[in-house]
Amino acid sequence: MSLWVDKYRPKTLDELSYHEGLTTRLRSLANSGDFPHLLVYGPSGAGKKTRISCVLRELFGKSVERLKIDQRVFLTPSKRKLDVNIVQSNFHIELTPSDVGNYDRVVIQDLLKEIAQTQQVDLSAKQRFKVVVINEADLLSRDAQAALRRTMEKYMSNLRIILCANSTSRLIAPIKSRCLLVRVAAPSLEEIQAVLQQVAKNVGFDLPPEASEKIAEESNGNLRKAMLVLETLKMQSKDLNSPLLTIPKPDWESYCHKVADLIMSEQTPAKVMEVRGKFYELLSHCIPPTVILKTVADRLVDKMDESLKADVMYWAAFYERRMRIGNKKIFHLEAWVVKVMSLYKVMCTSIY
Amino acid sequence: MATLNPEPFGKPTLLLASLLLKDTNDTTFASNGLLDTEPSGGCEEENASSEQSPSWTARADGIGSTGDDESSAFTSNRLLGGPTQTTSQTSSTLLSVLGSDFFDSQTLVGSTFTQTSDLLSDIGYAGPSIRATTFEGKPVFIKKKAQTDRTKKRTATAGKATGLLDVPLHRLMDELAVSASDPSRNTQITLESVSSPSSKVHGELWVDRYRPQQYTDLLGDDRVHREVMAWVKEWDYCVFGKSKGKQKVTEDGQYFDEYRRPREKLLLISGPPGLGKTTLAHVVAKQAGYKVFEINASDARSGAVVDDRIRPALESGAAIGSSKPVLVVVDEIDGATGAGDSSAGFIQKFIALTQDNPKMKRQKNDKSERRPLLRPIICICNDLYASSLTKLRAHARIIRLARAADVHLVKRLRDICERERLRADSRALTALVGIAQGDLRGCLNTLQFLKRRGVEVTEVVVRKATHGMKEADASQISVLNDLFCPLQRKRVKDLGMTEEEESRYVGRLARTIESTGAPDKVALGCFEHYPNLNKHDSTFVKYSKAIEWLGNYDLLSNGMRSEREYGLMNYLPYMIVPFYPLFQERGAQKVERPKADWENYTKTKAHEEIYKSLSKCLRSACAREAGCFRHLLSERILQLELSPYINRIISPPLRPVNSQIIKPEEKAVLNRLVDLMVALDLRFVQDKTEDGSVVYRLDPPVDVFVTYDGKRSSDIAISRYAIRQLVANEIDARVSPRQVDGVSTGRPGRKSLFGKRLREEPTEEGLSSVVSDSRNKRQKVGGKIDIADRPPTDFFGRPIAVKPVSKPASKIGLNKTTSQAPVVSYKFNEGNSAAVRKAVKVSSFL
Repeated sequence: MSLWVDKYRPKTLDELSYHEGLTTRLRSLANSGDFPHLLVYGPSGAGKKTRISCVLRELFGKSVERLKIDQRVFLTPSKRKLDVNIVQSNFHIELTPSDVGNYDRVVIQDLLKEIAQTQQVDLSAKQRFKVVVINEADLLSRDAQAALRRTMEKYMSNLRIILCANSTSRLIAPIKSRCLLVRVAAPSLEEIQAVLQQVAKNVGFDLPPEASEKIAEESNGNLRKAMLVLETLKMQSKDLNSPLLTIPKPDWESYCHKVADLIMSEQTPAKVMEVRGKFYELLSHCIPPTVILKTVADRLVDKMDESLKADVMYWAAFYERRMRIGNKKIFHLEAWVVKVMSLYKVMCTSIY
Repeated sequence: MATLNPEPFGKPTLLLASLLLKDTNDTTFASNGLLDTEPSGGCEEENASSEQSPSWTARADGIGSTGDDESSAFTSNRLLGGPTQTTSQTSSTLLSVLGSDFFDSQTLVGSTFTQTSDLLSDIGYAGPSIRATTFEGKPVFIKKKAQTDRTKKRTATAGKATGLLDVPLHRLMDELAVSASDPSRNTQITLESVSSPSSKVHGELWVDRYRPQQYTDLLGDDRVHREVMAWVKEWDYCVFGKSKGKQKVTEDGQYFDEYRRPREKLLLISGPPGLGKTTLAHVVAKQAGYKVFEINASDARSGAVVDDRIRPALESGAAIGSSKPVLVVVDEIDGATGAGDSSAGFIQKFIALTQDNPKMKRQKNDKSERRPLLRPIICICNDLYASSLTKLRAHARIIRLARAADVHLVKRLRDICERERLRADSRALTALVGIAQGDLRGCLNTLQFLKRRGVEVTEVVVRKATHGMKEADASQISVLNDLFCPLQRKRVKDLGMTEEEESRYVGRLARTIESTGAPDKVALGCFEHYPNLNKHDSTFVKYSKAIEWLGNYDLLSNGMRSEREYGLMNYLPYMIVPFYPLFQERGAQKVERPKADWENYTKTKAHEEIYKSLSKCLRSACAREAGCFRHLLSERILQLELSPYINRIISPPLRPVNSQIIKPEEKAVLNRLVDLMVALDLRFVQDKTEDGSVVYRLDPPVDVFVTYDGKRSSDIAISRYAIRQLVANEIDARVSPRQVDGVSTGRPGRKSLFGKRLREEPTEEGLSSVVSDSRNKRQKVGGKIDIADRPPTDFFGRPIAVKPVSKPASKIGLNKTTSQAPVVSYKFNEGNSAAVRKAVKVSSFL
């Protein structure tokens, strides 16, 4: 039993519904016999991983779907043990090295070399190489990326690498130059709606176009989110035809909005304290501080006076950077809040 | 005829001997005069008049005199006469001769002895008595004289005032005898007894010379001292077997300890240095009759010390070379190792030591068996909140020692100065005490130093001498308070600062911050405190600046750590100092210990664990369902997308009704819910809340991710008990056959793949594939019976009695094909047995 988001995920390139041009290019790449390293990038929920698995299917045939899930143990130089979860078939292997933080270099070095140095022994295999899929490649540390460089050239005959990333900005240039860059853009509203309608038809219920439009709007170009929302609505047995249909937001998001409203409501030290409590609550729920800052800032900009919008965003970016350099995220989050409050106060006093 | 019980008599003889020995020093040997009978008069009068003569001498007198009077064969007479000529006779020979002769004489003149006792009572003995029995079996009590010489009285009354005289009388007398024979000790017994400073030894610290030796000499809050003493006394029943300790235990009411030990088996004395914590522990221990066994920072303090030194000392019960029970004093315990969780650390072992309970069943030759703790332990620390003491605090009775009132300190210092012939005016002494902040040790050391320099103690000199003293020690809290409040006027005066010096705060504050050794914590404290201050600030500039400084602090410290440039450490405090000009205010509210950050940290850790277990669930689901959920596994997606929606998906608005009368559309929802939860390994687990009511808890508790500020979002239906129970039963019904499947193939992944196909598309190629699958014929039979109809079984295959609720869920397709067939079922007892498994045709049963 699986969620709809998995159940109705396209398995082959033919089933893919949008980005037709990209699909044909991927198909010809897979059939050309000269498959390069790929760097697939694009926003979350655009369908990067779906496309990667479709390409693998095209490359190796149906048997690539026979998956094994393993846990491998790596030993760091300081003799610490690292557990890395890998998903693999006979022809490819998927892993997320950034799970182990700073030790991703060890994983890359050990695992990739091991795979690269063994040849495909299965004579019935359609390709002579294996594929390594590296998820969240943009979160790889610099060392790990450097470790990839030479491997990608040296073991080209045995190995192809598919990197999957949200943005290319954090990847070092040598990696980018070794790969074929494939951008998977977020689907448009219409495309999302079409997919939702298709799924509704497959499940066997009627999805009114208004509802699908609402979901698509709310999903912000994230198809995965749209699918989850659709399933949630269906499970909650909501009346999809009702004009009052509200799309459930993730809790952290509505909580962030509350924070923004708090900042707007009053600018006193007591409010700063209250906001801090809310930030702590969000952080303790493992919501990344960058996401918190971004969501709150977005909401603030929506509500703020026109003259302040640019400033709010400027300072958000400023403190976001400091947050990355620093260690105590809460200090910088609060610094931003105090800054915004002070700006707002100055503006208010200048009006009267 | 009367006979004396040898037992009670043993002690007095010994005492007598010792006293005799003592008195050899004195020129007026009471018995001496007596036996010579020259000073004439009744011997009783002699006794009454001579205050100096101890009681037992008097008694000997009595005996001696009666012997004389009766002129019978009381040989002791002769004996006691002996020493008069040879006073230098050693005590041992005296003792032996005395003893033997006494018992000789008893047999001879029992009747005379009764007379003796009469006589003795005439003399006026009071207090505890010695029991003797006549030959007729009549008990005779011989009373001791209460009145003793002056020195003895002093200690006796001191003891009585607190009810503390636990050292037997004869031992006290022994000590007196020794001290009397050693005049050099006189100087250091008590302050009062110090008479001749000329006899002092050079090189001895004043701190040692004037260290209080007695309970009454202690300086400071008497109540605290009494508290310590009371705790030590609570051990009395356990250690001495006396009934004194009993009162406290019964007072406690519910607490019962089979050894009658106090509830907390450790005492933790905390306080700043120099207040006399160690002295307090030693004095109390001595007063209560213990021998101190001390472990301090000069000893290695690893876990091994507990096993190698402390435990043997405690278990032997008494110190080496002493008959007194031992009391362990662990000094400076805040520097001990073992703050971490490693069980080998000092603190860990130490706590284990105090918590050891004897096993109920004693196994023979079990060397590892630990004996219970039967002796008191006193720990001493400076910083009660040191991280190494976190665990210890829960097990200890905590006593905080505050600084004594300045008046008393000054008085004591003045006494000492007088005795040392050091001229000091009281202004100087007051200043000294003020600077030292009550640290008596520091004061004494300074004074001694001044004495050696031979200068007169005036305020100026004191200020010079104490330059920089005490500034280097501060706790986080006091530093924080310093940051938010200007110096107290009194303190400014104490330190003798000028206006200008006072206004120069940067260096001073930076130094104090640095001295805490934990600028991070100070920064956190500032962070938590500053918005509490209500400054008038129309444009928020102050707050903005303050948080800016904190941000810079964080950047600097993180940069320092990541680049390993620890030379920058010196500059960190300056990032915190600006809080002073921004927020300082006289009489500001006290800063509290920062805790929000730590709470947040622990909460985050807990939530991370839940995420981990959720992703584990997903992973195992992924393994079962051929890679279904693997794209959701990324941390970001898990946190931001999956966890909010999965919570909504698994809590549909169901009505709590019996699943048999449920509406078809609800039934479909329920089925899907159960399928999902089974796939994801989510369960409702029965649990009890604190108030005892039964609830179903989600496991793993992913619902925390939609709970903010303790509230859930309103669009999630509250899943009530009845619904959860319904779902839980459905899940159980679904899971148990699945588990059986898993066992039978031993390959859960492929099997469930197969099982899934069976459930989803049973009418099409599913069944045929089942038939063709020769791997497991049993499955065919199982498929026909509809597995969910089987009663759910527990781990051992026994049927569980389930309420009728658990009607099958997945009979959408299957039931059509199997409804007409005769319902034949048999049960195959699965398990890890070595039984031979064999396929049996149904026909063979019919």
